[in-house]
Amino acid sequence: MNNLLEQFLSEARDFLQGIAEKLMQLENEPNSTELMVELFRFVHTLKGNSGLFDFPEMTRVLHASEDLMDAVRNGRVSYSQTLADQLLEAMDFVSALMDEIELTGKTGSNHVGTSTELTNALRALLNAPSAVHVPVAIETYTEDGLAVKAISWSELPPMDLPESTAMGLHRCAVDGETVLWLQYTPEPECFFKGEDPFFLIRQIPDVAWRHIILNNTASTLAEMDVFSSQLVFQLLTIASTEELDDLLRYVPDQIHRVKVPALAFVKPTGNSDDVALDEDFIINILEFFDNDEIETLTNTINTMLELSSPELWSSSALRWILHLIETEPDNKPVQRTLLEALRTQKTPDWSALTLPDVEPTQNVVASPVVSVNISEISDTLLVYFNEVIEAQKEILSLPASSGGAWSAGRLKAVGATLIGCYRAVQRANEVEHIEDALKLALTENSPTPLLIWLDNSLLDTHEPVLVEDHEQHEEHLVANHLAAQTDAKSSRRPEEIGGANIVAASKTLKVDQDKIDRLMNLIGEMVVAKNALPYLANRAETVFGVRELSREIKAQYAVINRVAEEMQDTIMQVRMMPVSFIFQRFPRMVRDISRKLGKEVELVLEGEATEADKNIIEALSDPLIHIVRNSLDHGLEMPEARLAAGKFATGKLLIRASQESDRVLIEIIDDGKGIDPDVIKQKAYEKGLIDESTLERISDQDAVNLVFAAGFSTADVISDLSGRGVGMDVVRSAVEKVNGTVGIESERGKGTRLFLSLPLSMAVTNVMIIESNTQIFGVPMDMVVETVRVPRAHIRTIKQKQTTVLRGRIVPLLSLNDLLAKSEPQLPNEDDEFATLIVRVHGEHVGILVDDFRETVDIILKPMTGILGGLPGYSGAALLGDGSVLMVLNPRELI
Amino acid sequence: MAIEYKKSQAIFNEFIGVEEAEALLEWLQKNPKGKVNFAECTHIHASSLQVLMAIKPPIAAEPNDADLAVWLNIALK
Repeated sequence: MNNLLEQFLSEARDFLQGIAEKLMQLENEPNSTELMVELFRFVHTLKGNSGLFDFPEMTRVLHASEDLMDAVRNGRVSYSQTLADQLLEAMDFVSALMDEIELTGKTGSNHVGTSTELTNALRALLNAPSAVHVPVAIETYTEDGLAVKAISWSELPPMDLPESTAMGLHRCAVDGETVLWLQYTPEPECFFKGEDPFFLIRQIPDVAWRHIILNNTASTLAEMDVFSSQLVFQLLTIASTEELDDLLRYVPDQIHRVKVPALAFVKPTGNSDDVALDEDFIINILEFFDNDEIETLTNTINTMLELSSPELWSSSALRWILHLIETEPDNKPVQRTLLEALRTQKTPDWSALTLPDVEPTQNVVASPVVSVNISEISDTLLVYFNEVIEAQKEILSLPASSGGAWSAGRLKAVGATLIGCYRAVQRANEVEHIEDALKLALTENSPTPLLIWLDNSLLDTHEPVLVEDHEQHEEHLVANHLAAQTDAKSSRRPEEIGGANIVAASKTLKVDQDKIDRLMNLIGEMVVAKNALPYLANRAETVFGVRELSREIKAQYAVINRVAEEMQDTIMQVRMMPVSFIFQRFPRMVRDISRKLGKEVELVLEGEATEADKNIIEALSDPLIHIVRNSLDHGLEMPEARLAAGKFATGKLLIRASQESDRVLIEIIDDGKGIDPDVIKQKAYEKGLIDESTLERISDQDAVNLVFAAGFSTADVISDLSGRGVGMDVVRSAVEKVNGTVGIESERGKGTRLFLSLPLSMAVTNVMIIESNTQIFGVPMDMVVETVRVPRAHIRTIKQKQTTVLRGRIVPLLSLNDLLAKSEPQLPNEDDEFATLIVRVHGEHVGILVDDFRETVDIILKPMTGILGGLPGYSGAALLGDGSVLMVLNPRELI
Repeated sequence: MAIEYKKSQAIFNEFIGVEEAEALLEWLQKNPKGKVNFAECTHIHASSLQVLMAIKPPIAAEPNDADLAVWLNIALK
């Protein structure tokens, strides 16, 4: 991957994030021109950058997004929820493409479909000024104001295929191959983009028929603009869709595809001015046909063909009949219609027999728009529609009892009813075909054409789909409505997030994290090396007896010390990141999840500018997501339940970050139903986490804390969001890994408050050095509550466990030598007192007996790696100033 | 030179690029009776193709390239 691409990917992700943020903000202030302009700028730049590379799908979607944003910015299209959804979806797609590019360095052609869909959906919004509720007619795809009409196969221009080619294509279509009619209209300025439409069109394989049209607008040759494409290519091909997608991936919006059904090729050609076939012959073969004497029929036709000139229309029709009998032996209506057509010498109107087979052509917004149209039909209407159609069928199948006088009127009545019905369900495009079928029926004085049409069309109307569409649409509306309410309320403080990371881009230097880490390690070593100087000064004085030198070394040490500390401080600052880095994903996440759950949630973020070390921030990300999901899924109730409980329908989720001395405090507060301690107790007991006696005496707060126990889950059903066994215990261990603590408070019916407390930085740890069994160890200062000296007389043994009473509280005492599996007893001082370190472990105070206390030092704690990494009792090791190694204990694991 | 302009014939050699279109149009206007010879031609850029389609000059020789021959036959008939 080259540098340019790498830079593009890294910038593009920033842009995507910025776009998502701006969209979220726009939901709160839909009329803010400033935001709109900013958003447009992001999309515009991103599109421009993507154009440098060979990612047509990405550029296309971004281009459509840009056009849409441009329209919004200029007030031609109003901002709406749908628009935001569509844009977000488009950005998700772009993001997915970028993931792929990062992995493989390119994008596959399999994205063409999605990108075209997205582009069309975006373009559709461009044409609907007030978004959703204006039903867009089928043919309103425009790019530059030109309406491109969806063409059904029956409206295709005549192709004058030779009979053999037509028969071949017909056979292909009958055999299930897709025969596509393809029209490629290159954009006029395509030559300037280095495209050669003619070369492209020549790459298409399996072309059965081709045509080129020149739309020369210039009146004289001199005026002709040779560098503006005026060509239109049309062809028929049986190439596979994948192949075509791949070939035409750069120009899908200039391609028009229509799937041509087999019947469209059944078109006898020839000279029809000559005498028509003998009526007797036609009656004869019709009789054979009706009696299913196919062999006699083919023989007769073959004889006839030998007798008549092959150029005649009727000869061609007869050959077609033979071809149909061979390829589609079961398609009797078609064969019969063609036989009857021998009388009129005209190709039957096949479109009256089948529904126009409009393939969702590439550049036509067919499916989503149609579903809007259709879904406006109510269920009841649909039921009536079906009833009426059934009734018409019955009428048509009645025997023509009272002579011909009635039947014509009956047919007309049925025709009028059908036209009315189809108009009522917004399928006016069928009217033509009904009329055609009616005309045919009237001329033949038989109900058959109408019946055939009805049967075919009913097969193709997909009634169940209509109903489904309708329901989906309603759900969609409800969801939209709910979401609109939710999102309008989810608030962010714009002044804090005002694109801080993007606006300041020009002053920001992007540095690889590895380099910072390296710098950090070097400074760590420097601090240790610096700490060796006082030892050196000491030696100069005591060993070599040069007091003067010792003093100079000490003075120099003071200078180096100051510089080193400043350096250390600065590098810490570099590594600091605002918590907004993880907070910024919450608005979108909360929006998506709450919409999915049908809940209304107002998300409030506070203290996003609070900073902490990058490692801490990164370690926080997953636990926080888990907690927020939990709150949304289990904490907040459905709107109805909330109203019933006398709360606002909209739940409130507050995520607040703040700094408390050298720790970051993050609180996640919801005003949901809270945690029921009784339920927790019961569940914990059922799962064997607590025994019966604990069940009896456990306090409510302690019960709530049980949610952090491993293997605990209250969810009976595994849902999309929670209940997968990755519980709060994972959250706790993740937080504890970075020396953090997690706590929970909950009041039934009022809500839950979860709080995480984390160190600002992991880089420098303040430890207390203790001595035990002639070795020294470090203990992190943040765990040490106090140090006391306990006289031997005050130590009581309860059930073989040593305890003492400290300020009226019983504190269990543990010997460090015991904990480290050494047999030596702890050494008391001259007054027979034991040095005792009181540490806080899981909220309880425990005394650790050691031999002696030493000073506290700042060290750079290095976690142990390799085999030693598996030792749970140590949190790491550090170098001391004299070059010795200090093992730092982890009392939490040790006890 | 992709297109060689002789007295009464324009000879198309192999691959005709986009830049040929303007000169071709000029030559065909100046020589209304000029013929075009595609024998050695394998591809014509769309810009030149549309010039040929607008004027439909008499053809001295069809291309040896079968696929191109089919297309030109359709375009220039």
